[in-house]
Amino acid sequence: MPDSKDLSSPDLIREKGSYHPINQMIDSLVNLLISFGFEIVDGPEIETEEFNFDMLNIKKSHPARQMHDTFYLNQKSSLLRTHTSPVQIRGMLEKKPPLAFISGGKVYRKDDDATHLPMFHQIEGIYVDEEVSFANLKDLIYKIVKALFGDNVKLRFRPSYFPFTEPSAEVDILSENGKWLEILGCGVVNPVVLENCNISSEQYSGFAFGLGIERIAMLKFGVKDIRDFYKSNLDFLNQFK
Amino acid sequence: MKISYRHIVRGLNPRPDIEELSERLFQLGHEHEISDEIFDIEFTPNRGDCLSLDGLRRDLRLFYEIQKKQNVYQGEISSFKFEFVNKAEEFCNNISFLKIEVDEVPRIYEDFLEDYFSVLNIKKINFFTDISNYLSYETGQPTHCYDSSKLNGPLILDVLKKEIEFETLLDKKVNISEGDLVFCDKGNRVINLAGVVGGKNTECNKNTKSVIVECAHFDPEIIIGKSLKYDISSDAAHKFERNTDPYSHDYVLRRFLNIVESHTQIKKVELLKQSYTKKIHKFIPLDILKINKILGTEIDENKCLMYLNKLGFELSEGKIKVPTYRNDISTINDLAEEVARAVGYNNIKSEPLNISIANNIKLDHKDKKIKKILIDQGFYEVINNPFVIQNVSESVSVDNPLDSNRKYLRTGLKDSLINNLLFNERRQKDSVKLFEISDVYTNSNEGRFGKRIIGVIASGRIDKNYKNFSKKITKSFLVEVLEKIRPEKYLIEEISRDDLNSKFKNKIFFCEFEIDSSLDLDSSFDEITLKDIKDKEYVPISEYPSSFRDLSFSIKDYSKCKLLEKYILNFDHNLLKEVFVFDYYKNEKINEIKIGFRFIFQSKESTITDDEVNKIMDLIISGSMNIDSVSIPGL
Repeated sequence: MPDSKDLSSPDLIREKGSYHPINQMIDSLVNLLISFGFEIVDGPEIETEEFNFDMLNIKKSHPARQMHDTFYLNQKSSLLRTHTSPVQIRGMLEKKPPLAFISGGKVYRKDDDATHLPMFHQIEGIYVDEEVSFANLKDLIYKIVKALFGDNVKLRFRPSYFPFTEPSAEVDILSENGKWLEILGCGVVNPVVLENCNISSEQYSGFAFGLGIERIAMLKFGVKDIRDFYKSNLDFLNQFK
Repeated sequence: MKISYRHIVRGLNPRPDIEELSERLFQLGHEHEISDEIFDIEFTPNRGDCLSLDGLRRDLRLFYEIQKKQNVYQGEISSFKFEFVNKAEEFCNNISFLKIEVDEVPRIYEDFLEDYFSVLNIKKINFFTDISNYLSYETGQPTHCYDSSKLNGPLILDVLKKEIEFETLLDKKVNISEGDLVFCDKGNRVINLAGVVGGKNTECNKNTKSVIVECAHFDPEIIIGKSLKYDISSDAAHKFERNTDPYSHDYVLRRFLNIVESHTQIKKVELLKQSYTKKIHKFIPLDILKINKILGTEIDENKCLMYLNKLGFELSEGKIKVPTYRNDISTINDLAEEVARAVGYNNIKSEPLNISIANNIKLDHKDKKIKKILIDQGFYEVINNPFVIQNVSESVSVDNPLDSNRKYLRTGLKDSLINNLLFNERRQKDSVKLFEISDVYTNSNEGRFGKRIIGVIASGRIDKNYKNFSKKITKSFLVEVLEKIRPEKYLIEEISRDDLNSKFKNKIFFCEFEIDSSLDLDSSFDEITLKDIKDKEYVPISEYPSSFRDLSFSIKDYSKCKLLEKYILNFDHNLLKEVFVFDYYKNEKINEIKIGFRFIFQSKESTITDDEVNKIMDLIISGSMNIDSVSIPGL
């Protein structure tokens, strides 16, 4: 065995493990958003229909509420959250504006194929204050996307539909092969949602945004198959040290 | 929905080329792909009004004039003495039945109708059904055609009271359930799963000369999920689920008649119209200031009104009258979105934002501190699905699992981590150290209970460096690691391999504990930023088996050891996956260093052969033999 004075001995390399790439992506985005002034809030993965849907203006007829899209639990008494927005609802019920929350974590939808998993990760944010506009939202989205993909990234905003925001948008970035890739959804908080949380929509307005972590991680790391993240293959995980 | 470029631009002025049209559609929020001049558009679920040629062109009026209006039947229509009983008015507030009799059934279609089937590659069925399908494409209003000779009145619309077998006109038998909305005729015979698919028993055929066309508005809530539930592909259900215009029926039926009369002589036409609600228009107070506040813009009133007007909205006594087909519009925010779509989201200038809210939540970073301790000790973080087959008494059950193997939520992490370990052992990993942090949920007498737990599993070599290569993971190794998190007695379990499908002999150790408020770590943690992950690029891994070789060198001149180490560790070959020093011994008595290297080879294209490995080893050996005083014992 070499002693400490043995100058010819090889370097003693203790192999380090690695953080899961999805959690690396979440942590780095959370840190970015905290630096913009957001505060992090946490909430349960098992939710009620009230917090997951009703409070967010997702009506009973919305396809997302159907059994084919949402995992219901214990004779429909609860469900696995389909997004992290309920955490923000709880936050808004507890605090008065101005408020700026982010929440991240696992969410669940009844999908399982080459491009969709029944469990995936999201980070969502909400900002509520007086006179918050869609133009303010665009400013923040530009900052997030440039931090993620560089100052030269080309992005576009497309009208979309989310029951909890109005107007709603999806944001695409232009990939190297000339294709537009969707990376996040966002919009001006629907006044109905503010009122549901006892916040005056006359006095306050806000915006919200949500990022699918797997999709961003695939783009950032160059992973082609979403399922690779969850095989727990050491050869895969080893590459994210 | 697939729509032909030529159909969209018919009569548009100025006529856009395909690229311009594509850009305009994206500006309006109609995401699509284009193939052979066919736009495959994914409309958002709130825009049921756009699920047609007319609907889409209504949106395009923002940019283009539409020069040609469709022709409709101008003749008189007499009253249809037909007995219809609506026992489900709450689900169907407007319905019409149009009876048409013709002399001859045409075999050749007018160009526009022929074009619809050929361009979109749609199969023709029979004359009346073909018109019905075309009109759904053109107007967005589904209609259903009954062969009137097969109907035995009275016709009743009702909610089904008990499950029955129903044969659809698509030749598929399904058991429809209590609560489904159905049309029945004499003797409660079900002839139509309302809004989804008609029955075989009253379908039209190529010889049908007398038809009853049903044109209805159904509450989306009674239709939603039905086509998926019965695995029936239904354009009608797709449209009714997204809501239709309850006041379009007169136009649609007159358009139906117009198409019939352009093909054949109409012998008789009769109409029964039933409406159970008064026509109601929605009005929204016009507030330009508010619209600009929502958007962060300074668009003047005239421009706003021009945009809204082009989209079919009217100004009436200071209020905006919403067209009946726009079920999605009810608030000033909705109007703001219409204005934003007209301006173009990308043309709205961003307004700098500074969030200055005191962050008063102190984060304790427990998870991060634990992770750093484990990662520094060579553990890899994994994430697993929570769905399991096993049921313990307190398991939370999934009402609608993906399959019977995923019926419950896991209450612990052990099984997931054992599976992860075995997966890696099957891939020739002789040292596996994993952990997972996750929330788990259980039912208890007091209700549902959730907690955050960590699971740690380890087996095989402690490390691959020359100090630990021959040491195996033991219980005391894991204790030593976990004591860095919290000095306490951990319940470390040795997992028996008896019930595992595993050829390995190494012992497996597992530990699981709760991360709760009592855990108070005074250690550092990593703050991962986007800069840290900037240069991480994944290289696809090989699924082929690897092969290894060990090589031991003897060195007499100590100063050459580092030279050899540098040469070997920097040796580069596309089949050489990894190399490390697994053995080192300095014998000062005989003035000799022995150093052992392990070389791991793997191909991305096939199972690597001994020949391939030997050739690379020969290169390594000949290169190392150029270093003075280096020899390979036994060579």
